[in-house]
Amino acid sequence: MSAYTYFFGCVIPNRYPGIEYAVRWVTGKQGFNMDVVDNREFSCCPVPGIFYSSDKDTWLLLAARNLVLAQEEKRQLLTVCNGCLASLLKATEYLQEPKNMGKVNRVLAQVGKKYTGIPVRSEGKRKVFEPVKVRHYIEVMAADVGLDAIQKAAKHPLKNLKVAVHYGCHYLRPTEHAQFDDPNDPVLLDKIVEACGATSVDYDDKLDCCGAGGGVRSHVVELANSLTQDKCTNIAAANADCIVTGCPFCLLQFDNAQKSFSKDGIPVMHVSQLQALAMGIDPISLGFDTHHVSAHSLLRKLRGS
Amino acid sequence: MAEVEKVFIGGLHEELIQDKVIDEKDLDPDFAHLIKKYAGKDVMTCLQCGNCTGVCPISLKIDYKTRNIIKCCQFGLKKYTLGTQWVCATCYRCYEHCPADLNPAEIMIALRHIAVREGIIPPFIKTAATNLVKYGQSVKPDPEIDKIRIELGLKPVHSHDPEFKTVIREIQLLVHATKYDKLIGIQEEVKV
Repeated sequence: MSAYTYFFGCVIPNRYPGIEYAVRWVTGKQGFNMDVVDNREFSCCPVPGIFYSSDKDTWLLLAARNLVLAQEEKRQLLTVCNGCLASLLKATEYLQEPKNMGKVNRVLAQVGKKYTGIPVRSEGKRKVFEPVKVRHYIEVMAADVGLDAIQKAAKHPLKNLKVAVHYGCHYLRPTEHAQFDDPNDPVLLDKIVEACGATSVDYDDKLDCCGAGGGVRSHVVELANSLTQDKCTNIAAANADCIVTGCPFCLLQFDNAQKSFSKDGIPVMHVSQLQALAMGIDPISLGFDTHHVSAHSLLRKLRGS
Repeated sequence: MAEVEKVFIGGLHEELIQDKVIDEKDLDPDFAHLIKKYAGKDVMTCLQCGNCTGVCPISLKIDYKTRNIIKCCQFGLKKYTLGTQWVCATCYRCYEHCPADLNPAEIMIALRHIAVREGIIPPFIKTAATNLVKYGQSVKPDPEIDKIRIELGLKPVHSHDPEFKTVIREIQLLVHATKYDKLIGIQEEVKV
């Protein structure tokens, strides 16, 4: 298996530390014992809805700074958020253009950094570089760890649990980025959920947007919540016990928006939290008390099964 | 949602959908060029097929028509478009369904670039940018969450590390190099 560096972004460490714990637990010694290290010099990815939307030059510089850190360690970036994935992946593409790379490196030189990509081999005197690989947690789990290993590790299969999965827009689109999964009929998250012993229920408009992205949540929260309400209505109609997503920002939106239109709400968790539950973690470590929609009823149901 | 419509797509809705006669003075002939500079795409290639509006999740909720906005861009009706682009969720559905390979989501992003340069900067941009130069994160660290992190056995958020000051300084240098601090009006003083 490859070597990775965690890239948690902003939302997970500062709002949902339980996800960080779950990811570390699942990838760590108690879980799949993967070669993942921390880097405490990462900044925000930077978030596409703010920086990519207001000044692409600044966005590319800040993203390149993060990529240089991964390049120095010769490791793949393990992102746990759709936004981080989209931003950093797009940055590696931009940096493939020699013109952009030169422009970025001229400024990065001020802070003693240079983006080249990771050297893979040399042809004579010339070195061949490959862009830094940016991966999504779901992709790494399905492709590198493997669904069989996930199923084997799920010692406490979550039988009777009906899960509504939400992929999130930037996992799927632009389609040239999402080559690890079928953007029009994605399966990886469903397969991970099934490997954990739970049932992934089908619901209407499964691939719809949660409403939060692109700054809509920060700008016009009523509009974002109204899109979430549509999704939650469909999810409730499918009798799902919880929503599982691979993106902490979608999670934040589902978690916060539900109180604006319903009293109880459907609990939301990150796919790593679901995996950790199936692998027998003590739920107290998953930080569900930082979630707005209480997960108590869900945990009670799991204990009963 | 009527309120949202009024505030965010007011001009577009009131002036264009009600078939009002448009004054020639309102047309900016260079608008398409300006968009091309930021998006790398020419809005004149739009076929006005309407696929983008059809698949837009926002258009289900408010009278937001991507096709109309692109039409305004073709005409050079800058004044009606500025402000509308911030309700785009950048879900890229329009991009996937665009037969002209125009990428309307990127056009919206280009319009945001133009609006920011005209001084139309929504407050959340300012907040996030300020958080970035202050903490290195777009989301402000929360002391309550830090307590929970310690209870869980995680280290406090890395923006509290003493060594992180070097990172903040690097970020400030980069943000200053592109003049982004001036553009957005970041409140935190950038010492370079």
